[in-house]
Amino acid sequence: MSKSADKALNLLRSLPRLCLGNIRDNPGSRSSRKRGRGQHGGDKHGAGNKGSGQRQNYMRLGYETGNNPFYLRFPNEPYYKGHHLKRQYPPMSMLDLQRLIDLNRLDMSKPIDLVAILNTGVFKLKPDQHQFGVNLTDEGADIFKAKINLEVQWASELVIAAVEKAGGVITTAYYDQHSLQAMLNTRKFFERGIPIPRRMTPPADAIEYYTDPTKRGYLADPEKISEERLVLAQKYGYTLPKIEEDKTYEMLTQRKDPRQIFFGLNPGWVVNLRNKVILKPQEEKLVEFYQS
Amino acid sequence: MSVISTKLRLVINNLSKINLRAKQIIRHGGYYSSEYLEDLGKVSTKFEVTKDPVDWKCVENILPRKTIPEPVKKDEYPSGWQPQADDMQSRPYYIERTRNHLIPVYLDLAQHNIRRHTIIRRVKGDIWLLEKEVTEFLQTLSNKPIRLQVNEFAGFIRINGDFVNAIKYWLKNKGY
Repeated sequence: MSKSADKALNLLRSLPRLCLGNIRDNPGSRSSRKRGRGQHGGDKHGAGNKGSGQRQNYMRLGYETGNNPFYLRFPNEPYYKGHHLKRQYPPMSMLDLQRLIDLNRLDMSKPIDLVAILNTGVFKLKPDQHQFGVNLTDEGADIFKAKINLEVQWASELVIAAVEKAGGVITTAYYDQHSLQAMLNTRKFFERGIPIPRRMTPPADAIEYYTDPTKRGYLADPEKISEERLVLAQKYGYTLPKIEEDKTYEMLTQRKDPRQIFFGLNPGWVVNLRNKVILKPQEEKLVEFYQS
Repeated sequence: MSVISTKLRLVINNLSKINLRAKQIIRHGGYYSSEYLEDLGKVSTKFEVTKDPVDWKCVENILPRKTIPEPVKKDEYPSGWQPQADDMQSRPYYIERTRNHLIPVYLDLAQHNIRRHTIIRRVKGDIWLLEKEVTEFLQTLSNKPIRLQVNEFAGFIRINGDFVNAIKYWLKNKGY
């Protein structure tokens, strides 16, 4: 017999005999009388024991479990002063604009202003939340190829260059909240039967922007703007397309009056959609009010 | 004093009139919908009623369209958008465009933005073939095995992970 077999037999002799005291069931032959609730027999469902995980009441952003939080450590941050009152310009990229033109949602043969952009239904504006129009951002500036007469509320230098390189013109224009409310849904506005409001002049802190020819402001001197168009073309290194010789010259040079909010419709007019007539005031006082 | 008192009386009179007529509930919520505090009598403002077709054209130009226009065939679309191919009838499966004429592939974020699912919606026809082709394509992008769920009845495929742009690009190249 081998050594290992001898050893095993010796071990067996010293072990206790098999008896009632040391037998047990085969594993899995008996099941518990308690019925487990849930997939894994009533456990914690992956939420852990107690606390935020179970109650789904995660700590608020910036809370440091009792420490003086970072955002409260410094008592004064004056550069945020009045941030809730500042004008906001929700963004729309040039790629979005180009896609709207490609998809026939915007008509290139007419000037594209905020009314046209809002009429597509893709861009949402909330004037009551201090939103004052569209900020055209430069994403997609390299593929932009539409020759349009564009009017937005905020544009960067690159955006202006991209629009002008494609042969179009761009203006930045200010609208006050009442004008914006009328522009949100023109059909709803006309159904109210109230006169078209006159557009207010920009507030003191916006005048600088909207009279700046480098920003193509609507209150800037047109001659200075055409000069700045050349300057920008030289800065970015493209030849400025001559809009004077263009077939669509008339469309490209269409501008609104600083008091006007819709092309071709003057403030003070009431549009009746049912009878398809326009009521124009003749009272001298009113005429003077809406022109001033 | 007497002027003020007569004015006050007028206002109170008017208020009582309003109360008597208040059977129909009117909400004076706005500047234009509110009644005048005092009776102004008959107001006659001179105005002109015009039916100029040129002016009316301007009104029509700014009215929002009630339907989304069909895209026009063009030589090139600089934005990268592309219309569907013409041979959709002969293909085993079809993915309908959305009402905005875009490809219906979406990202679904859940569980505090930890779970990212890509969903291909509006699938019609042989969805199982699409599943096979999509897994084959995505396997080239990912080291892990692709996990996805096919809902044949609702016509969508839910894929684990963010593959929205990849799938959009892949479907666009296939003409969907």
